[in-house]
Amino acid sequence: MSVADLIRTSLRGVSANKLRAALTMLGIIIGVASVIAMLALGNGARAAVDARFRFLGANQVQISAMMAIDDEQLVSAGKNLTYEDGLLMPDQVELVSKVDMAVNAGVKARYGRATLDLTILGVTANAMDGIVSAGEVQPVNRQDGETLTMQDYLARGRFFTPVEVLEHGPVCVLGSQTATDLFGGDDPLGQTIWVNRDRCEVIGVMAELENVDESQRYKSNPNLNLFMPISTVIQAFYEDEPSISITAFVKDESRMDEAKAQIKDYLRKRHEVEPDANGEYQDDFNLTTRKDILGAQQEAANTFSLLLAAMAIVSLIVGGIGIMNVMLVSVTERTREIGVRMAVGAHSKDIILQFLLEAILISVGGGVLGVVFGILSIPIAASLNKGMALLQPSSIPLALFVSILVGVLFGIYPALRAARLDPIEALRYE
Amino acid sequence: MNGSSKAVIQTVGLTREYVMGDFVLRALRGVDLAVRAGEFVALMGASGSGKSTLLSLIGLLDRPTAGGYWLEDTEVSSLSRDELATIRGRRIGFIFQNFNLLPRFSAWENVALPLAYRKGEYGGGEQYKKAMDVLTRVGLDRRADHQPMELSGGERQRVAIARALVTQPAVILADEPTGNLDSATGKEIMSLLTELHKEGKTIIMVTHDMNIARHASRICTMRDGILMEAESVHVRG
Repeated sequence: MSVADLIRTSLRGVSANKLRAALTMLGIIIGVASVIAMLALGNGARAAVDARFRFLGANQVQISAMMAIDDEQLVSAGKNLTYEDGLLMPDQVELVSKVDMAVNAGVKARYGRATLDLTILGVTANAMDGIVSAGEVQPVNRQDGETLTMQDYLARGRFFTPVEVLEHGPVCVLGSQTATDLFGGDDPLGQTIWVNRDRCEVIGVMAELENVDESQRYKSNPNLNLFMPISTVIQAFYEDEPSISITAFVKDESRMDEAKAQIKDYLRKRHEVEPDANGEYQDDFNLTTRKDILGAQQEAANTFSLLLAAMAIVSLIVGGIGIMNVMLVSVTERTREIGVRMAVGAHSKDIILQFLLEAILISVGGGVLGVVFGILSIPIAASLNKGMALLQPSSIPLALFVSILVGVLFGIYPALRAARLDPIEALRYE
Repeated sequence: MNGSSKAVIQTVGLTREYVMGDFVLRALRGVDLAVRAGEFVALMGASGSGKSTLLSLIGLLDRPTAGGYWLEDTEVSSLSRDELATIRGRRIGFIFQNFNLLPRFSAWENVALPLAYRKGEYGGGEQYKKAMDVLTRVGLDRRADHQPMELSGGERQRVAIARALVTQPAVILADEPTGNLDSATGKEIMSLLTELHKEGKTIIMVTHDMNIARHASRICTMRDGILMEAESVHVRG
């Protein structure tokens, strides 16, 4: 039979039992959709890692206090991580060149009649270095990978000086959105605003920024910020010494593990952490590098991928067995038809191809629908995996190939059975 | 008997045995049959006499246990499955008691089916044209696009006859062609077969009905797997 005749014949066979074919496709649909989603997760994780390492100064260690829940409140598990801990670190830890420190405070900012409830960020003069080298945000309308300097992040004025930070300077830098909200069209530079009951001079305005990682964009607005020196924030808005977070800049990127060990020693000494009976330290602080975060994220993605792979394999096998079952039923139902075809000259090959093609049509039909559902499921997969899922284009031909393979593997036996029928028996079959 | 026309079918000692456990059923016990071109042979006999088995062997749907079978001077009893399929598709036309048309395929598609299995010989357009030619011959060209479900029993059998004719086979084998039809429709089908015989087609027909067998040019009777030569008679010239 010609290919066109063959396809026409097989299509007619499948369409004779549309509901049956559709139900049979279900396993393949789920299997193929899982393959697409699985590869999208892997691809998304890889893309996220690539993107961050491209921008990231991988030389930062994030230090935070170990937290515990006490009376339904989040409190430090041991000693607070203090401003002094951070301030002395560059002197005391060999591999740390400088630090940035940060603390939050919820405040009301006011200029003229405009008031704004917002969270201010107390930071050091090194904050801009951190922002620029971390590369999580960048000025809008910039190319990926473009080299950016601190000046690109500032629209107007300047950032704090180390002296202003040490001396609790009453100065602040506004995010672009904050500036617009407070000042409308007026020039904020050199103006004095009220932050709670303290005056504060605006010395700079940030450029309009956006999150580099698109999937993070909905999470926070990087332009609704108000930066003040950390010392000023602690003095003005905290009664007790707050627990802060510290970012240590390591001199040599290749010695991150060594630097982490040095920081640990330093903090254990300052916090008087002693080894327990087993010689283990119960630290009251956490050290995290970007590598740690990405590693954990990738591991989560890998676990999820593995789960999907298992699901894909199981559903493809179940789907394949479903196809085999339906084809065996179909061969039995159409025994007479097979007999007639043999009587008018069909060779074994013709019969095999006809039924094999039917099986493949069902599995490829399932495959195509599976690709569609798989692509539709990517946003769901992304939401379950911190936004890291990205369609891998090559997964579409792969999925279609897999569905053809399933059709062939599970369709060949029924097709062979059809071809092996004895023509005389087949013609007499009732 | 016209001595100048050569034998289309020649069997010598054709034997077919079925092994059923310890028991061997001898359906055919050495049948010698010669059918010349243009003959219309009726095979008669009680059920179980072996007439259907003989027709299956002649139609190459089954293979003999012993004996020889020459179809147009080719010994065919030892050919492979696919070689038999090729000869069936080219040299033999089947007409069945229950029509055996494919459901969901139109009349002309059913008729064209044998042509479709000839690799690359007929394109879609040619298949349609050939099918329409024979459908016209059996008077069904207007029903060409109807599916079997939409046709009467007599029309279905005409489609089946058209399918048997479309390859211009050496012989047409009809197994109780009127068995599923009322007597009036049966008569129409028999007059069609008679016309085809007059046009020179070679036909072998199995029937148990003497009134049907009368249309043939020669009647052979089977009894217990043996062809009764003595009862072979010539009804018409």
